[in-house]
Parts: sequence; structure tokens; C-alpha cells
Amino acid sequence: MSTPSSDVQKIRCYLKNQLINNTQFIGHDREKKQIFDLLKRTITHGESNSALLIGPRGAGKTTLVNNVLQELKDLKYFDSDAILVELHGLVHTDDRMALKSATTQMNLDNAVDGKVFGTFAENLAFLLACLRTGEKHTSKSIIFIIEEFDLFCNHHNQTLLYNLFDVSQSAQAPICVLGITCRLDVIELLEKRVKSRFSHRQFFLFPGQEDENKSNLDLYLEKIEYYLKLPGSLKISAASKKAWNSNLEDIMNEKKFKNILQRIIDIDLSVHTLKNILIRIVVTLNENRSSLSIEQFQEQLNILEKDETVQVLQDLTCLELCLIIAIKHHMEIYDTQPNFEMILTRYTKFANANSNMQITQRNVVMKAFEHIEKLELISKISGNKTQKEYQPFSLLVTPQQISEAIKKSHGLPTEVVQWANSSFA
Amino acid sequence: MARRFQTTVRRRVTSAYSVHGSELSPNLKHVKLYTNECFPCRSNEIDQLLNLFKSKEEPYPCSVYVYGGPSTGKSSIIKHVLKNLKINYVMINIIECYTSKNLYEIILNKFSGLHVYPLNGQPYTKCENLMEFTYQLKKISSIINLNGSVLVIDKVDELRDMDLNLLNALLKLKELTGISLCVVFVSEILFEKYVSRSNVCEPIKIYFPQYTKEQLLEIMKKDYNQAQHLIVNNFQKPIHFDLTFYHNYLNVFLSVFFRACKDLAELKHMSKVNFIKYCDPINQNENTINDSVTLWRNMAPLLKSSLETLYLRVLIKNSAKSVEIQSKEFLFSKEKLAQSLELPYYAKFLLIAAYLASYNPVKDDKRLFMKFHEKSKKSIKDVKLKSKVSEHYNTQLGPKMFSFDRLLAIFYAILDKKVGFNNNLLVQVSSLVELQFLITISDNCSLDGQKYKCNINFEFVNTISKMLGFNIRKYLSDFSHM
Repeated sequence: MSTPSSDVQKIRCYLKNQLINNTQFIGHDREKKQIFDLLKRTITHGESNSALLIGPRGAGKTTLVNNVLQELKDLKYFDSDAILVELHGLVHTDDRMALKSATTQMNLDNAVDGKVFGTFAENLAFLLACLRTGEKHTSKSIIFIIEEFDLFCNHHNQTLLYNLFDVSQSAQAPICVLGITCRLDVIELLEKRVKSRFSHRQFFLFPGQEDENKSNLDLYLEKIEYYLKLPGSLKISAASKKAWNSNLEDIMNEKKFKNILQRIIDIDLSVHTLKNILIRIVVTLNENRSSLSIEQFQEQLNILEKDETVQVLQDLTCLELCLIIAIKHHMEIYDTQPNFEMILTRYTKFANANSNMQITQRNVVMKAFEHIEKLELISKISGNKTQKEYQPFSLLVTPQQISEAIKKSHGLPTEVVQWANSSFA
Repeated sequence: MARRFQTTVRRRVTSAYSVHGSELSPNLKHVKLYTNECFPCRSNEIDQLLNLFKSKEEPYPCSVYVYGGPSTGKSSIIKHVLKNLKINYVMINIIECYTSKNLYEIILNKFSGLHVYPLNGQPYTKCENLMEFTYQLKKISSIINLNGSVLVIDKVDELRDMDLNLLNALLKLKELTGISLCVVFVSEILFEKYVSRSNVCEPIKIYFPQYTKEQLLEIMKKDYNQAQHLIVNNFQKPIHFDLTFYHNYLNVFLSVFFRACKDLAELKHMSKVNFIKYCDPINQNENTINDSVTLWRNMAPLLKSSLETLYLRVLIKNSAKSVEIQSKEFLFSKEKLAQSLELPYYAKFLLIAAYLASYNPVKDDKRLFMKFHEKSKKSIKDVKLKSKVSEHYNTQLGPKMFSFDRLLAIFYAILDKKVGFNNNLLVQVSSLVELQFLITISDNCSLDGQKYKCNINFEFVNTISKMLGFNIRKYLSDFSHM
């Protein structure tokens, strides 16, 4: 049964959109509800709050917050009662910039124009005062979403954080500060005076701890189904849709597939990795290959498990590989970091013993040495300022990786292979 | 100014659209065939790229990381694919951007199609930091739709020396700007060399492996026409050769060079240089074109000697004979430098003294430089030292530092004539430092305990001492193997 090519194209387009542009967050309902309630309380009751959302990269923190904000925006009183200020640690690299951006987002550019402020706190207080219209419950509440919260901790004196937390403590204007970060030790980064003003409310978002009744594998399967299953609303012929969905179901039920997934989960659990894997599979869909197969997943698992360093080692020329081997031997024998002169001597000794190796010219070997340094397979030991030839280097690849690369690469002279295995040249 | 900027952009955009509008949407199959033809032996990588970017209606992933060894065709294939798919793309090389400000401005101006005119600097977007960058990018996107554009950044490894977190920000550019802009990173090193894995969202990776020997042969065979031109330009009498002849030559060439070099660009250069030499016997009627065995026999030593100049790009004149001499000359140019260097008589001795001080252990000084030293008694310690391994020779460990007093003491010991200790000598030491032959180790403020290291190699000091008629080997303790 073949799917017409136009349908394949539509399916591919839909799935890509689903994977790349999808903003729907799935799972973690409890955390989502808590954050929603927290923000809602600020808007409706004018309650000041501060909280941190912590979770590893690719866990979907930003997606979750965006989802919550979208839900809040759907409430009819959001526009009249609240102002959203989004700051990003990567973008707003100092407090001055962050405040400028906050002013713009509060639509207060006109009010601030031409005013001179003594301190940062004054500036912020002025901004907040502008929004206050008298009593507590009538004034607008402000929601600060601070992404990459940990980067704000590096700012001078943590002024912005101090002021924001201070305001949230002292009931000046209703604000809610929600920090998003991937650093678990973020509390330790806060200064004492900042820490004491923080409410210490933290939400953790770890993939794979959502439901005690379900295993991680089941949750993972659910996610895959969510991403890859075609909905009824997609406008393609019913036959191809049915074929796709039943094929997907067949694959998901197979034991082999589950084993592969389990391996992937053991390596990396994050949604981001899953999406990357699925994208790589989905983009290969075309007229000739209109359905998924377990082999594709196996291939992706192989890519995930593959040691890239071995691949780079395999790409080296025979000469460069010999230098790496020489460094390895030196470190095994003397347990010290060799420099270029030592490696050259060791290599020359080997090359002279084997007439097959023709290259012994110092300059050429130096170039090869520089190349492996550029690939960062070896690195200079810092703090040692001498001539290039005498600069000690350390090896950044393991002996296992070297021997694996030598095993895998073809066309190496037998002497080199033997030399790699034993230091007796 | 902002208004002017907008109108200019709009004008450029309309002109750009009129070009694009008239052409039909690119045929994927055609692009694929064409790219594969231009870049042989890369079909797997081209497929991966095309899969990601083939259709304009479908979204692109937010970041792609392309990596692989030098001259494996990373940048050129990406450029070729994007160009032929008629995707709006901007390609920049980090080497061109010495600050992040520079990087932002180049990206913005390329996206908006602005150039700097020498007479009139305007309109030209200025941008200081990432906040402005995202703002400006959004602004440009509101005029020209940047959705579905691609930003290609070459030599990303240089980013590590620039602003902290810049790579992180570029990886998340889509999230930061809200524009579905795909960022393609091109680099020679592994992604894991950038940051600890847990701290960054991994992009989709595409690896460009190095060419195998067979692939190199196939690619270099495409230069057949160029090789013919080369012969026509270099010899008065044209030689007619066919593809098999060229193939044979490449086979011989690669059998020597492949072990030392896999870099296609360098191999192409070397093969061009050597092909003239290969054909030279035919030109002089010593060999016929079919006599491949004799040609090979002629060529083997030449190839070997030219292997010694790999990557060094020795200037080559047209005549084939002089190549060898020139390469030899180049290799001995350091010696020539030592000869041509006009140092004062005493400065040369000072330099030799410095070399001796750097490479000899202090305890040997007495034995080496005093006329009536006691016969050293052999202790077990000495015997042990005799058997020390070559890795611990001073030649291998580099120069040791020495004090000024020791330098003077050795200087007076090796110099036969009596010379007074005066200002002129001191000045010569400082001019040696100035010339970087000596390096000062201690800070400049201490006048007494100045310490130095010698910064020249053995060949250099050997040449200098030969010129003075001084036997330096006699005074070196660890150099018997050299």
C-alpha cells in the first residue's frame, strides 16, 4: 500500500510543524496548576510573590510558562489588571538594559523620558509608582518572568534581583517574580540580602518524575504518540492517514522498539533530545519512504551512542595518528606531559625503524602536530610560557578511544597498528 | 534616519522579490543532481542537508551544527544548497568579526541588504549588544519577512573567545526573537568542546567525514582540464595526454602524500606543483608518455623531497629543476638567517654563553669551564645519571633559566681574550633581549637578580659558533646524540 506523494508531503509538513513549532506543553499538570494559581492570585488579589522554576535544559520550562501565560491571557481581566514583563538573562546582560527593557514593556517610556534618577531602586520605584492608582486592589499587578535567572545573579550587586524581591516582600505594588533556570544550585548564587527577601518557593521540573503510576517508558511512548499521530483534522485521504496511524501503532507495540526507546531514555530523558531524534526521522520521509520503521530508530540510537571523538580520530592522517600514539606511549611510560621535542624524537625513532614511514621532516611533523592541536585532541598546559617546541601538552582522548579508532580505520600500515598496541617499536 | 532606513530596505526587498518572483520554485531533484555533480562523494551529507531544507513550506529546525575536518566541503556545500533552493540566507565567518558588536552589525546589515558606502555611511544599522540585536532583527523581520531564513555562521569555534553565552544565545535565536530563523553553525571541532553538555540545547548535527583515498582520487581526476592547461602554460611543446595518464600520475602522487595529508586543498596544490615535474622528462624527450614505469622511477625521489615541503608553500618558479634547490634553500633559510644576522663580536659570545647556561646543568659548569678542575669521582649517582633516558635530556625539556651572574661567568670562561666588564657589555645583553634571543623571566624592577632564558635552537647557535670558530659541542653535556 503506497501513500500518494502529495499526502506524504502533507504528513511531513504537519509532523515538522508539530515537532518544531509546537508550543503545547504535555505532562507535569501539578506544577503547571501551581504556577497558574500563583500568577492568577497576583492578578486577581494583588498578592506579591516570588518563585523559581528549576529544571534541566530541554525539560520544557519555557514552554510550560508560555502555556500558563497563554491561559492567563485568555482570562478577560488580564489586559486590564496585569502587565507582563519578560526578561532574558542571555539578552539583558546587565541591569541597566534589563530596566530599560522593562520600562518599554510597561509602556512607560514617556513617563521616564527626561527624568534623572539617583539610584536604580529609585528608578524602579518610580516605575512601580506610575502603575499604582491608589489602593492595593485597584492597581495593576506586574508579572516578571525572568529567564536564565542564574545569569542575573552575576550582575553587579544583584541590584535588579534585590529590588524586585524587596518590592515583592514589602507590599508596595503587587508584583510576581518568576525566575526560570536550569541550575539547581541557584539559591546559593544569591547574595545573603537577596536570599532573605526571596520567598523560597521553588518548582522543580524533572523529566521522568511526573507520575508514580507510570514508568518513564510509558510516558515517553505517550509523547511519541502525541507528536507523531495524525489527527482527524488533517486534510489528507483517509486511507493514507489510517495507514500511517496503524503503522505507528504497530511499531509502538513492538518489543524491539521498546528496547530501543529504553536505551534512549537511559542516555537522555529530555524532551529536546526526543524531538531532535524525531525531527531527524521525519525529515527523511519522501515518496519512496512513506512510513516509519524500527530501523530508523535503531539508526538514531546508534548515532546517539556513537563516540564522536573516535570518528575524528579516524579522520586523521597516518602521520597525525602516529603522533597521537607517540603521546599516548609517552604518557604511559613516564606519566608526565610530553612536549613536541619528545614526541618528535619518539616518532622519529619509530619511523626510522620502519622504512615504510617516509615523513620525518621536522616542519611537516610540526604542521601535523599543530593540526591535532587545532582539532583539540591535545591541549597546551597553561601557565607554561616557553617556546612552542617545549610547551607541554596533555592528551584529551583516552587510550580506549585511540585503539577503537585504529581498529575501525582501514588502510593503516601494519607497523602503526602494532605500534599502537605496544610501545616497543 | 529610521525612516530612511525603512524605505531603503523596502526598495531593496521589492527588487529582491521581483527577481525571485520571476523564477519558478526550484526543483528538488534538479538541485540534488546538480549539487552532487558539483561536490562528488558527498551524497550522504547533501541528502541530510536537503532533507532539512528541501521545502519552504515546512519549518526548519532552529539550529543545525555542521562539523568535519578542513576542506571537506562544509561551507561550500551549505552555500550551494541554500542558494539553489532559493532560500534567503546570510553567511558570515566569525574570523571577520573581531567583536560581538561587529558580528551583530554584519548580520543585521546583510539581512536588511544594506552596505557601507565609502562616501556615505548611511543607512547602516548600528548595534551594540544582544538586546538591540534581537530588537533590530524583529524590526527587520516586520519589513522583510525573515521567517524561513537561514543564518550560516562559519568557524564557530572562535565564538568561545567572544562574549560569554553568545553561542547559547545564537542557539536559541528562534526563542529569543520569535522569528523562525534557522541558524547553521559550521566548525571543525566537536560540539562537546564548547560547553558542558548539560548546559545547552543540542542542535541537530551533521558530520562531514574526511575523504577516503579513492574519493580523493575521483575528485582530483576532475582537474584533468586544469592539468592540461598547466602543461600548455608551462612547456613550449604541448604534450597530449589522456585521462588514464593523469589517473596514473594521481595514483603515484597519492600513494606518497596520502599518509601525511588528507586536506584536499593542500593535495590539489601539491599535485599541481608535482605534475610539471612528472611531465618534465617527456618534455625533454627522455621518456615517452607510455613509459609509466620509468616516469614513476623518476618521480619517486622528487615526490619524497617535495613531501618535505608539505603545507609550507615554498615559492616555486616555473622551471622544474630549480624546485628542488629552492625547497632545500627554504629549509636552510634559518641557517641563512643566523649567518646574515650582524651581531657584534661579544654579543655572539654572549648568545653562546646564554645557550650554554640554558642547556647545561649548573653542577657541570665547573667541569666544563675551569681549566684545573679536580677529577670528578664517579659515584653511583653519576652512573645512574649516565643511564638517563632520552626524554629527560635537556634538549627535550627546553631551556632552563639562569642568572645574569652565571651568564657573565660562562662568557668570560669561553672567551680567550680579556675584556673589561663595562657598560657596552650590559647594553648588548639588553639588545639580545630586545631581539627576543633572550627572554627575561623575572620582573624588570629587580636590578640584581635578573633571570633569563635562551630562546634559540641548536642549529642557530651552531651556525653562530661555527662563524666564530668556536666548538660548542665540546661544552654541551647532553648533546652527544645530536
